Amino acid sequence: MIVGVINYGISGNIHSIKKALEKAGGVVKIVNNKNELAKVNKVVIPGVGSFKDAMAELEKSGLLEGLKEIEKPTLGICLGMQILSTLGYEYGKTEGLNLIDAEVKPIIVNAKVPHVGFNTISVVNNNRLLDGLENEEFYFMHSYEVVNYTNILSLTNYEGHQFVSAIHKDNIYGVQFHPEKSRESGIQLFKNFIEL
Amino acid sequence: MKTRIIVKLDVKPPYVVKPVHFEGLRKVGTPSEMAKKYYEQGADEVIYVDIVSSLYQRDIIFDEIEKTANELFIPFGVGGAIRSMKDISRLFHIGADKVAINTYAVQEDPSIINKSAEVFGNQAIVVNIEAKKWDNYWECYTDCGRIQSGKDVIEWAKEVEQRGAGEIFLQSVDYDGRKRGFDLELCKEVVDAVNIPVIVASGAGTLKDIKEVIEYAKPSGVAIASLLHYDNLTIQNIKTYLKNSGIEVSK
Repeated sequence: MIVGVINYGISGNIHSIKKALEKAGGVVKIVNNKNELAKVNKVVIPGVGSFKDAMAELEKSGLLEGLKEIEKPTLGICLGMQILSTLGYEYGKTEGLNLIDAEVKPIIVNAKVPHVGFNTISVVNNNRLLDGLENEEFYFMHSYEVVNYTNILSLTNYEGHQFVSAIHKDNIYGVQFHPEKSRESGIQLFKNFIEL
Repeated sequence: MKTRIIVKLDVKPPYVVKPVHFEGLRKVGTPSEMAKKYYEQGADEVIYVDIVSSLYQRDIIFDEIEKTANELFIPFGVGGAIRSMKDISRLFHIGADKVAINTYAVQEDPSIINKSAEVFGNQAIVVNIEAKKWDNYWECYTDCGRIQSGKDVIEWAKEVEQRGAGEIFLQSVDYDGRKRGFDLELCKEVVDAVNIPVIVASGAGTLKDIKEVIEYAKPSGVAIASLLHYDNLTIQNIKTYLKNSGIEVSK
């Protein structure tokens, strides 16, 4: 079983994610193009950068088409979760992968944005991805949030504002936080994903 | 929101040094071994600041940064001598989650903040401010507290937010490394001036100092260096103390 981590070119913290997946027992390959995407069993879409740039980079690498039709278990992290959506509004309006019916909008809250730091998740729909992780702390670092009402796995509260911190539809998963930056809880989430 | 407890590693490659007024004085270990130790103690983040490369126009020492990143499963910020989009891209690729820019943005080209925020996302771009107190204002310094810029700290803080910075890392030229408490007014004014998170550094000499700056200025995080490197205090000692004082921190 090989987990492929999507390489976006200029942005993307693939190094941290690869390392954490390996710690969780995964065999990891970096995916740079369509051919490499075909050779992996599961896919992780990392998350550093802006929505607009990420989509442009995916298009440039030729990965966009493959990802739009992906059926393998796929986990989007932070921005990688956001681009699973239909539309994003960061630096203009950009079409996403449209794997989950959702939009990505700025966080509106009476507190500092970006939302940065450790915060807990409340699991609203049980799923193996979040096994044993109810109320655990994960590291968040984002200015935008995924707006969706039907595919929610967990919610998180930031200074009175509740937002979607994990989503799931069929084989597609997304987490707003960074498992690779969330100590043992993050490694556990990666283990759960590998064992799905 | 849980206040982040962040470890600051002042690096004069290849060692972490003890700085007083930003001058590197004594080797205290290698960045990678110290980062690992503090990760295991429960640090929320580590920030690696190369305190000499900008001044000497040296290139960033990528190897040690990569080695340090390898030990961490928490966010890792890197600052010092960042001059181009290429530097920033490479730092992300070897494991940095955030980059902290100061000298280049202040002295050469502030638009590096806009450009990098657009490519890498706001949350990944930190602006490092080194504030020097004058009678009735604070001035931005660069090159680790050595060069004056003429820029007003509060105005600059607002400007970098406008330009797309996702966080401010606030240091005090006067208080850094002296362990006499924080410049409370500076911290409060900067936190209140912007809507992005502010991490305050420079001054933690006792547990009480940390509690005081959190209660007074309400920063998003506190960066600690000497107190951890020298005083046998652990991250858990700090977190337990803060929890007992009614301040929310992570596990």
